[in-house]
Amino acid sequence: MKKSYDVIVIGSGVVGSSIAYHLSESKSKEILTIDKDFPLSGTSGSTQAWVWVHNKTPAWYGELNMYSAELYPFLERKIGDVEYKRTGGIAPFFSESDRENALRLAEKQAEVGIKVEVLSRDEVLEKEPALSHNIAGATYSNIDGNVNPFRLIELYVRAARKNGAEFSFYNQVIDISKENGMFKVTTQDGEYFSNQLVLAGGPWSKSMGKLLGVDVPIKQVRGQIIVTEPLSPLLTHTIGGMRQADNGEVLVGYSKEEVGYDRRSTLDIIQDTARMAIDFVPALEKANVVRCFSGIRVMPEDGFPILGEIPGIENGYIAAMHSGITLSPLVGTLMTELLVDGETSIDLERYSLKRFNTIQSIG
Amino acid sequence: MDKSTIVCRCEEINIDEIESAINMGAHTFNDIKRLTRCGMGPCQAKFCMNLVRKIISEKTGQSLKDIKPPRMRVPLGVTRMSALASNKASSVASVFGESAEEGETDHEEEL
Amino acid sequence: MRTDLLIVGGGPAGLNAAYKAASYGLKTIIVDKWFSLGGQLRQQTQSYDHLPQHFAKLRGYKLADFLIDRLKPLDVTILEKHTLIGAYSDGSVGVTNEKDILPIDAKNVLITTGAMEEPDIFPGWTLPGVMTAGAAQILINRERVLPGKQALILGSNEFALEVAAQLHDCGIAIKGIVENRSELLCQNEKLIARISNAEIPIVLNGVIESAIGKGKVEEAYVNHNGNNALYDVDLICVAKGITPILEPFEVMNCDLIYRERLGGWLPEYYGNFETTNPSIYVAGNAAGITNMGGILLTGEIAAISAVESLNAASTVQIKEEKEYLWNELYRIEYNSVLEARLDVINELHNEKDAQLPPLVDSLNGRLING
Repeated sequence: MKKSYDVIVIGSGVVGSSIAYHLSESKSKEILTIDKDFPLSGTSGSTQAWVWVHNKTPAWYGELNMYSAELYPFLERKIGDVEYKRTGGIAPFFSESDRENALRLAEKQAEVGIKVEVLSRDEVLEKEPALSHNIAGATYSNIDGNVNPFRLIELYVRAARKNGAEFSFYNQVIDISKENGMFKVTTQDGEYFSNQLVLAGGPWSKSMGKLLGVDVPIKQVRGQIIVTEPLSPLLTHTIGGMRQADNGEVLVGYSKEEVGYDRRSTLDIIQDTARMAIDFVPALEKANVVRCFSGIRVMPEDGFPILGEIPGIENGYIAAMHSGITLSPLVGTLMTELLVDGETSIDLERYSLKRFNTIQSIG
Repeated sequence: MDKSTIVCRCEEINIDEIESAINMGAHTFNDIKRLTRCGMGPCQAKFCMNLVRKIISEKTGQSLKDIKPPRMRVPLGVTRMSALASNKASSVASVFGESAEEGETDHEEEL
Repeated sequence: MRTDLLIVGGGPAGLNAAYKAASYGLKTIIVDKWFSLGGQLRQQTQSYDHLPQHFAKLRGYKLADFLIDRLKPLDVTILEKHTLIGAYSDGSVGVTNEKDILPIDAKNVLITTGAMEEPDIFPGWTLPGVMTAGAAQILINRERVLPGKQALILGSNEFALEVAAQLHDCGIAIKGIVENRSELLCQNEKLIARISNAEIPIVLNGVIESAIGKGKVEEAYVNHNGNNALYDVDLICVAKGITPILEPFEVMNCDLIYRERLGGWLPEYYGNFETTNPSIYVAGNAAGITNMGGILLTGEIAAISAVESLNAASTVQIKEEKEYLWNELYRIEYNSVLEARLDVINELHNEKDAQLPPLVDSLNGRLING
């Protein structure tokens, strides 16, 4: 392995791998992606993997998600079958009082071109007969869907490698410094140098930021998901909280807990989740649960992605966000524009780390 | 041995598929599991745990003591959803207004 | 439910521990996933040589009856057909009977879930007719069903030979005991003599190349010193040893350690058989593969530790009990197993800077001095 690169990306989850892949497309940069473990071992491998747009608010944030979702079909043509399915998304509500909020959401999202329908109970049940008759209605959009996260990240990595990008796995970053204008990344396996550096460590971005003297204002949020045995076709849409995978397994998850990096499953949450599953889809009562898993999600303090240059660190960049699966095609594209051309086709100002005003020292 | 020999019976994963994952750089059972689904089925790797560890060891030269078992998942043993939900009061909350991709964010519309 | 001691797994280690704990007044619950207690003893028809002094020589299933019967007058709640499925965030555990989840809040938990058989694979191993030796034993001794007519045994440890002899006694023709090493693993002379008297062929340096058949095993190729021989068999029993069951320890957040001599990965534990998660104990084969004496004694030592943690006996009583039990363990357990076990204990005490119990410390010396 070489020692010196144009770009080092730290983190090979969905965000880091996408950035590495999109950068590699131009074949103009020598790229190294470093991960402390292996792709899918962290957040990106423990998700329901929705490509979800329609009720993300405010509208400008929904719009960003929409642009990214629209890139999926093109991405698939380039890197291969990631089992992306635009199933349409249903977010049920249980009380009539929510209908007004739903209508207001539809109106706001329409302003940026996201088509949201507010469905009556009967309309929802016609679309998705397995849902509970206790629902009052739902918001619906055909832009939503899901993807197989395992295939997605595997194919990002394979495609990037094909374009000459290098990856180093099981290689923990210990220190980052600047020497003669270049970044020096010290890992357990050695030292690597680069002109540009991208932090894409998901929930671990916080500790990576510390190495640069930068506070990355994100929290770790645990989500616990239960998985059933393969069932015959039951759900055709992506539903708020659950979806059915290609192999028939139904994934259900609602929880969010701030417990640091603890990735255990607890029966308290598992039982609540099982209750919710039955309340949403009564037929799941008879399903067998085979396993549960937890993921540590990134949650920026204000909920919105942190994207772009790191203020005060020349040639240093960050990409940390909650909805990495949905946003990865767009984020990979925009970060490539930024690293190669210095500017982006969509203004990232509002997503800058600057908004938090938390720069402690300059590295 | 014939590379098409099944290792994980639940998900029908053979030696060749496990070796391909190792060739891609996966050196732990958990990482191989996510790439191949080996050990993800109903028996939850009870059967293939040490078979896969042996293949990793042979292929990568790591000692068996350095190859950990896969993460074991709750519930231990296949469990009915209705049993899990027993003694839990119904608590339907609307997920409306939340975006719920990997755990749910909660952005209230600013009016 | 609240209890002083929850024992997960009602095999010999768990049953013996329950007796000891309840004798000292601990309110005890045993959960077991099967419909009857006794664990692996239920299908063992052979009797055990190396038992502690306070046990009479009994056949396996009789020993199970003895261990169960003597719990009857004591404060022991038995939950059969209940499985541990996970833990709550407050540390209490959930067990299920497939209808409900029962949360149990226990002051101490002892996990005695034993071991599982190691598989081996070869082309055709998924055909019906290939099973573990333990499965074949359950069929003949419990279900009273013959698993086949002509069999190969893969592996040559003591259990492999025991099952081979038992299958032979049921009228199944054993065509060979196939071992890939150059010598038998079993060192029990009596058992080897039985196999030899039954004229069961032993194929050393042999491997099963493949099993073939339409929908079930009909034939198997055995490679012996480079030559393939075709065997006409409908049953292949795999006996490649056993390894501790780990799932409960991972759910209870106990650290694991690898020791080949103890069967592979197992929970780390202190000299009182407490794991790295306070008040979670381990005993029996789950604490390292051992003989029946070792299984019974470690169960009792763990139970005494739980008694001690609740101050349910005098210091003198506890000291006497422990001394007797450890001395018996020293007498009965294979040296290589005891050495590996003490190694696990020493390492954890070292790592956590915890004082080694004097008794364990003295055993270290005794083992070194032979």
